[in-house]
Formats: sequence, C-alpha cells, structure tokens
Amino acid sequence: MSSDFYTTQILPYAAIIIKMCRAYTNSQEDFEDYYQEVCLQIWRSSENFNQQSEWSTWIYRISLNVCLTLLKKKKNNKQHFASDYLPPELVEDSHAFEDESLNQLYDAIRQLSEIDRGVILLYLEEKSYQEIAEIIGTNPNNIGVRIKRIKERLKKILS
Amino acid sequence: MEKSIETIWKEGFLKSDALIAPKLNNLYNQKSKHIIDKFKRMFKMNLILIVLGSFIVLGASFIVGIPYLGVPMFFILNVLVILNKKLLNTLMLIDKSTNSYDYLMAFDVWLKSQVSINKKFARFLYPFIFLSLIIGFWMKIEEGQRIGTHAVNKLLLTYPDLNLLFGVPVIGIIGALLITGILVLLGGKIYEWDLKIVYGRVFNKLDEIIADIKELKA
Repeated sequence: MSSDFYTTQILPYAAIIIKMCRAYTNSQEDFEDYYQEVCLQIWRSSENFNQQSEWSTWIYRISLNVCLTLLKKKKNNKQHFASDYLPPELVEDSHAFEDESLNQLYDAIRQLSEIDRGVILLYLEEKSYQEIAEIIGTNPNNIGVRIKRIKERLKKILS
Repeated sequence: MEKSIETIWKEGFLKSDALIAPKLNNLYNQKSKHIIDKFKRMFKMNLILIVLGSFIVLGASFIVGIPYLGVPMFFILNVLVILNKKLLNTLMLIDKSTNSYDYLMAFDVWLKSQVSINKKFARFLYPFIFLSLIIGFWMKIEEGQRIGTHAVNKLLLTYPDLNLLFGVPVIGIIGALLITGILVLLGGKIYEWDLKIVYGRVFNKLDEIIADIKELKA
C-alpha cells in the first residue's frame, strides 16, 4: 500500500475505522491489528469500488466485514486473551476515550451481538436505514425495529 | 437529565482525541509472521506425512512381495526427510524479533537455499524412485519365478534374437537409462511443480506481502 493512498484515501476516513474497530476489540493491541487489517483490505479491494455508493459507505462496509471476520477467526482459533474475560472497568479499551460516558457506551456496545454492534454504530453515525441495510446486507424494513431493540438493551446495560 | 446514546456519541467524539489513527508501522509484522508460521506448519506436516508414507510403502512392499521396491523407497524418502528436517532447524534460527521486512527477507533467503538444495536432491530422488520401481517389480517372485525373468522368457518366444545383457533385454536397459536420464534432467523442474502444488498459495501470499512492504518502503 503506498503511503499516498493511505494519506488521501484512508486517513480522512480514519474516524470511521477507529469507531468501528473499537467496538470489536478489547485492547489497544487488538485495536491496532484490526485497524491495520481494515486499512489493508480497503487498499486491496479499492479496485473493486464501483462508485455506486459513496467511498465512506464502502469504508464502513469493509470495516464491518473485516471486524466480523477477524472476530470470527479469533473465536475459531480459540485465541482468548486475558482481556476477553475481564470486567469492563478493567478492560484497557474502557479508557480509550477522554469522555467517560463514551467509554461506558462502548463497553455497553461491546456486550451486544456482533451484528448489533455494527447496526448501532451505523445508526449513531447517522446512516439511513437504507444505507445500514445495504452495509449489513439485510432488509431495510427490519432495521428500525432492530435499532429500537438495541437502544433499549443499551439503556438497560448503561443504567 | 440522562443523556441519550446519540448525545453521548456526538459529544464524546467532539472532545475526544482518541480518533487519532494509529501508526501503520506494525502493519505487516503479524501478517508476515503468520504466513511463515503457516509455512512451517505445512512443511513439518509434509515431513511427517513422508515418514508415515515411507513406513506404509515399506510394510506394503513386504506384504505384496516387492521388498526391492519398498526398502530403497523407504531409504530415499527418509534421507529426504532428514535433509529437510535439518533445513527446517536452520529456519527456526531466523530471528522473529526483527522487523517484518528483514524477517521476510531472511525467510526468502532460506527458502531459496532450501529450494536449491532440494532441486539438486530431486535430480537424484526421482530417477532413484523410478529405478526402484523397475527393480522392485522385476525382482518380484510369482509362481516361483521373477516377473522380469518370466517377461524375458515370454519375449524370447516372440523375438528369439533379442539381445540380452545379464539376462535383461538391451532395448529395455536403453529405455530405462533414457527415462532415468530424462528424470535427472527434469528432476529439478518436477520438484518445482510439486512445490507449487503444495505450497503455491503460501508462496503467492508471501510474494504479495514482500511486494507490499517494498512499495510501502519506497
């Protein structure tokens, strides 16, 4: 991957990748691995970008797919890290952000199912139901109900 | 009043500096280590399978009555394994703590030397296997007679003028020597094909990573 591609095509959208990767990792080390893998996949698959969707949507899609794949791989390899079993307050990533409420929200998001994490992140990023459905690969009609359910679950966890 | 998750999200990222992207210097470290570890596992498994195969061939050859095939095959396959086990031991010496580019390059050097040694050995291995097959079947005893002798006797009935050398048709010796010669010449190539079939995907991945890192360093 050329540094030029990274600077012009990825770095301006790094926030998307960071937000997504944080939701699927428990430690800074894992987070950096996921981030790097997403960047690599974006670069590798950039040739397949057909401009039917926005570049940012493409990045969301790849970020989510890579995070889900890596998480699945991690589970299959049974590579459990100590941080996987720690309570949220002891997980390194629980202090990833300056804002304590945001840290708590992320801890709550990490307790959701893998797909629900992606759905709520996209919702919080103000993606339309149509876009969320496209990125997740599901029916837009179900998204609204699902988001409502996820929000209720998050509220419960946070309270 | 309790904040909504939407507000937490928006406000949290406004004041947070956690959206600074991590550096990409570690990008290939894990990938290169992973691909080399995969190769090591495949290589080890391959050696174990060859050892197992050699014992099966040895056992089967005695059961079927072709020990002249089984014993040399067992011998040559185990020489191959010992040679490659020694090469594998040198691979283990490569320093994993170095950066991914140096690690990959060190592996690449090892790989080239391994391929070169095995290519030379293959020029001996394939002809050896071929001759073992010929001799093994020739010496197999059926109905109290060697298959080879039985075949020559049959040929002599049709071609009484057949030239023999130590009881073997000269034309057969020439044919066998010709094929042996071809195998000596093509041994290296055959090994390369074999290598591509077994490790082709790993090697392609490795080439990709090396090319990526070179581009990144450029």
